[in-house]
Amino acid sequence: MNSTKRLSVIEALLFVTGEEGLSMEQLVHILDEPEAQIQEGLSQLSQTLEQESRGLELTIVANRYKLVTKRDVSEYIKRLIENPRPVSLSQAALETLAIIAYKQPISRAEIEDVRGVKSEKAIQTLISKELVKEVGRAEGTGRAILYGVTERFLTHFGLKSLDELPVIKTDLKDVEEETNLFYENIQQTLFE
Amino acid sequence: MEYQVKIDAFEGPLDLLLHLIKKLEIDIYDIPVAVITEQYLDFIHQMQTLELDVASEYLVMAATLIEMKSRMLLPKPELLFDEEMMEEDYEDDPREALIRRLVEYRQYKEAAEVLKEKEEDQAFLFSKRAHDLSQFEVEKKSEAPLAPTTVYDMLSALQHLLRKKHINRPLRTKIERQTLPVGERMRSILSHLRIMKSPQPFASLFPYPDRTHIVVTFLALLELMKLKQIHCEQEENFEDITISLNEGGEALEFDEETFRD
Repeated sequence: MNSTKRLSVIEALLFVTGEEGLSMEQLVHILDEPEAQIQEGLSQLSQTLEQESRGLELTIVANRYKLVTKRDVSEYIKRLIENPRPVSLSQAALETLAIIAYKQPISRAEIEDVRGVKSEKAIQTLISKELVKEVGRAEGTGRAILYGVTERFLTHFGLKSLDELPVIKTDLKDVEEETNLFYENIQQTLFE
Repeated sequence: MEYQVKIDAFEGPLDLLLHLIKKLEIDIYDIPVAVITEQYLDFIHQMQTLELDVASEYLVMAATLIEMKSRMLLPKPELLFDEEMMEEDYEDDPREALIRRLVEYRQYKEAAEVLKEKEEDQAFLFSKRAHDLSQFEVEKKSEAPLAPTTVYDMLSALQHLLRKKHINRPLRTKIERQTLPVGERMRSILSHLRIMKSPQPFASLFPYPDRTHIVVTFLALLELMKLKQIHCEQEENFEDITISLNEGGEALEFDEETFRD
């Protein structure tokens, strides 16, 4: 198929699949073309949509390509909403979610250790919004529920994958190294 | 009082400590325990004068700080290496454990900030719901025996349904409130299944986008499952659940009174 035709097919497919979008595998399967060709079609579509006269853009979230409205038209979309509500999660929910995203699978007790406060309500909120799910049970007594993030988590924050999360020193070893540095400083001042 | 902050403004004692550390421009790796303890207790006392409930976690932290302060004043104990005392269990600075917790918590707090920004970024980018193409598909013959569904499958089906109904809600609706006893809903589900010669898709039993009706229907389904009048099946994960009458579930004997709301 020629590139013009390919462009229109991909656009139509992404229109039909809407928020669910399509993965590269699905596109390869449907168009029956090699990945390189599809890749080219996608980047052409993306460029076409980038023109200022177009209201949609191509995004990739959680490894799925989909069409979404452009940021600079959201102002007008908001006018469709009669009583807009705040969109953000609470601070407690955001913190809890951050801990789960970096440390999954993780139990409620471990989350509460990090935050220093009870987190049951925050976890329930996150589960009801399907951003977090049970991913198993801990070994040992009590078999505590372990939590992890869902694919919806990626969609909600517009992440391609978990790798897109900002790098933080989740490893306490790093923190320990920093603490050790501080001791060395202390000792230096003591023995000077 | 130079600052009047509500305790609600903090996510707990660690958050409050981080706030104080920032305010006093303290090096987190070298916390002056006396100063921070004083400031922390000050804050707690303010809360109490304002007659706000101080959560127990804050008091535990206050006790920890006071203990730390007194331990800092004591001369260092002689380090005795016996079998019971491994060197790594021994912290020679009482502040160490707290510093670690603060540093770790601070990282997740920063990560939460990043998430918040990303969330706001995403808030008004829309895509439309996917077209339902199932009407163009050939009815699938069920070959494999259906797996029994759990209450959790039912709950997740209900969650999806609620979201769908919410999104598809007409802009203005007026629903007359009326109480619907669970027992009555149980009867109507059974007769609906009999008329339709079962099995029926889960969603078809929730015709009204009304929370009360949805909840009552859900409870009725659970009751009917318990009474072995119906069974629910799900062909594959995330597929719609189907509800069928059980053989010999014709005559239903249950006490309406039990299910009065």
